Amino acid sequence: MSTLHVLSHSPFGDERLTSCLRLLGTADALLLCGDAAYALQPGTAPFNALENRQVKLFVLAEDAQARALQVPDWAEAIDYAAFVELSIHHDKVNTWL
Amino acid sequence: MAKSLLIISRQSPWSGPGAREALDIVLAGGAFDLPIGLLFLDDGVLQLAAGQNARALQQKDLSANLQALPMFGVEELFYCVDSASARGLGDRSLDEAQPLAAAQITALIDRYDQVITL
Amino acid sequence: MNALTVGTRTIELDKDGFLVDLNDWSSEVAGALAAAEDIELSAEHWEVLELLRSFYAEFQLSPATRPLIKYTALKLGAEKGNSLHLNRLFKGTPAKLAAKLAGLPKPTNCL
Repeated sequence: MSTLHVLSHSPFGDERLTSCLRLLGTADALLLCGDAAYALQPGTAPFNALENRQVKLFVLAEDAQARALQVPDWAEAIDYAAFVELSIHHDKVNTWL
Repeated sequence: MAKSLLIISRQSPWSGPGAREALDIVLAGGAFDLPIGLLFLDDGVLQLAAGQNARALQQKDLSANLQALPMFGVEELFYCVDSASARGLGDRSLDEAQPLAAAQITALIDRYDQVITL
Repeated sequence: MNALTVGTRTIELDKDGFLVDLNDWSSEVAGALAAAEDIELSAEHWEVLELLRSFYAEFQLSPATRPLIKYTALKLGAEKGNSLHLNRLFKGTPAKLAAKLAGLPKPTNCL
């Protein structure tokens, strides 16, 4: 069983990313959209946590671009069509509202 | 066979409507006999603190409502032990809720068809 | 405004006939609400109304049908905690009608 976890809140001052990383299964993937993309800000705790954890990580390209964030090589920038594909390929989607 | 649903409730009882909304989904699902589970995570575990007093804030008593879950046929009740210990949660009001470690929560999410995190 | 007259008192009701102020409830009010529904309250009705009031006191919410049946079975036994018995007493909509007569808010999970 695999779950696509979707985060959209800024990782600074918010626990969603931390908790999500704690619960993430080996078959799961993580998609950052909206302000959650700020987790890709180099030199920050969220960035380091993601890099160390080596999760299957996706980010909505437009959200990263808008925020002047470089997508590191351990993450994949995707468009909405690929987001839909991802959602279908996982057994379920858990959106952290 | 109806799809099973896990609600992850991660808001404190006093921070806004999130905790109440999560509970309303669960109660409605229970009333319709859906296979439904409820997990308290992060600040959500604070909903389980014993001795809360809704009247002090002139609010509805969420703690009392939570006790009705087994009556509504919702018996799959869990809370995250890490969240609870990080918040110094002592006496709890919902005896039916079972403590789960992170790896058990991963397995729990796997078991349900759908998950909603509020 | 919907209203119910009980003796010399005028009691405000919402559009569905539920008490606007739950503190207005008394056994006379319950009798008058029941009369408006063409129900004469028997001992069997009363034990369910009392049960609902204790449910509300304990959980601070009105039960939907399933929890009402479950709670009734728990407190009064299976021969009373079943949909047949409760439907017969409360014209087929026990959660809604019994909550109304017991002076509880309208059950929110009763779609």
